[in-house]
Amino acid sequence: MASRFSYGRIAHVMLWCGLAVASLGISIPKIYSGATAYPLRPTRPLHTCDSYLKFATGASGASKDLISIFQSMTASKRIIIFTRKDDAFSSGLGMTTAYLASPHLVRLFEINGTHPDNELAKVNPDEVAAVVFCRMNRPAWLPAGKIFGSGLEIVSMSKKVQ
Amino acid sequence: MSALALLGAFGTLLVAGYGLLTLLVHQETRFGLTEQIAFSWLLGTGAVSLLLWIFGLFVHGVLLPALVSIVCLLLGFVGWRRMVSLPFRCAPKSFEIFLGIIVVIEIAVVFYLSFVHTFGWDGLLNWEIKAHYAFANGGVLPATYFSDSGRAFSHPEYPLAIPFTELWLYFWLGEADQFCAKAIFPMFYVIGTFLVIALGRRLTGKTWTGLLMAAFLFFVPQITVEVGSAITGYADFPLGIFYLATIGCLFCATEPKNDTFFRLYASCLALLPWVKRDGLILWVVAAACGVFVILRTKRASRYFWALVPGLLIICGWRFYLSAMHATQSADFLPVNWDTFSNHLYRVLPLLSALLAEFHNLSAWGLFWFVVAIGVAYLLGQIRTPGSLVLLTALCCIC
Repeated sequence: MASRFSYGRIAHVMLWCGLAVASLGISIPKIYSGATAYPLRPTRPLHTCDSYLKFATGASGASKDLISIFQSMTASKRIIIFTRKDDAFSSGLGMTTAYLASPHLVRLFEINGTHPDNELAKVNPDEVAAVVFCRMNRPAWLPAGKIFGSGLEIVSMSKKVQ
Repeated sequence: MSALALLGAFGTLLVAGYGLLTLLVHQETRFGLTEQIAFSWLLGTGAVSLLLWIFGLFVHGVLLPALVSIVCLLLGFVGWRRMVSLPFRCAPKSFEIFLGIIVVIEIAVVFYLSFVHTFGWDGLLNWEIKAHYAFANGGVLPATYFSDSGRAFSHPEYPLAIPFTELWLYFWLGEADQFCAKAIFPMFYVIGTFLVIALGRRLTGKTWTGLLMAAFLFFVPQITVEVGSAITGYADFPLGIFYLATIGCLFCATEPKNDTFFRLYASCLALLPWVKRDGLILWVVAAACGVFVILRTKRASRYFWALVPGLLIICGWRFYLSAMHATQSADFLPVNWDTFSNHLYRVLPLLSALLAEFHNLSAWGLFWFVVAIGVAYLLGQIRTPGSLVLLTALCCIC
């Protein structure tokens, strides 16, 4: 009996009980805020892409429209995507668009500033299906494209443009 | 309908894994139900993703999931014939039932959390993207994906265990569904808790200890709600579970003549580099621990064959990437002596960042403090090979 209730054993139990209580006290607020931060969303097949696009542009359910646009273009031609170097939103938008642009090959241009005129001038329009501007200004000489929310514009390089 | 498809996908994964488990363990070996489910899931996801990749080299379209399903059913038949015995069970104590209910509630919360959060950045653009593209291309990743420099951001060189498990779900669902694909990750949480329960019981001989540890797993924010946790679709958490299974099996294999756990160790070890590129580092650590156990327990040299399946997967994947002319991401420097010597100055900032991570209470809670105290207890038993394995495995991942 003496060994069963020794000081060492009591200290051992108190140490682990203390750690358990402190652990719960520290972690529960964090987990509670994580659990209550978002409501249950509607179950769409592209729900993550939709969320990203809504977050970056404000447009709802845009993934399906983007896929339709890219699928209507010649699959053998590239999609050119312009993003801003100093803008995480632009970069994220560019990568999400690249994801949705399959099966097209894509080329991502990350540039300083918001005017991609110089880079665009080097592109051979015969090899390009569309140019995508992610939180960038479309050059004035390029016709207006399809705009999604604020910051995403897709210009199809039709024969007329070329 | 989606729920049925998910059940079918998970059922086939578990059936295939159970078949493999029965092939790896002796019929006289007794495994708890939680252990059987955990190892069936880990072996099942590994086997199905590998089969999809290997069969995908020869066939695609409807034939690919059909062939993989046939293999799963065959393995299930083997499992049915060679059932693993359950241990003799005495009635659970009321405290164990109480802890069990808490663990079940926690699992339900993790499933809920997983569905209210979207995929994290890497979850979508490193992992799910591969499943989506492969599904759209009849189950095979398009050759252009590997060589497309515009998609190098998605790391085409990353291995396929997680994406092809998602692909397996897509085959059953009949469409690429990012919402349903997330169901895989809370399943890994379930498997993690089952492993903790089982290993806790094997380490201490008491079920309640394992249940208590599993219940506290939920209260580590890095596991439940943080970036890279079980709910964001990253490969880090599944990799952690595979590593836990590998080291746990090796610990159990330190007992004399425990070949069953050594075979399980070899299987889980082989899958580490298949889950994530960083798994190669964990493979080296776990393999070194395995070599130590072989030498320390004076096992025959044939046990070194345990390293071969992992080496085959590593070399096979590298060969495949080179044949596909995969683009190399600019995010990583080449692993060589020049890179090492040119970046030695980073050692101190890295150590400082590591220490900062240890007391980052917002992400880890008191987890690392508890681990430190656990290690202090373990140091008292440092002479046993099992304790050395645990310490080495823990220190090396830090």
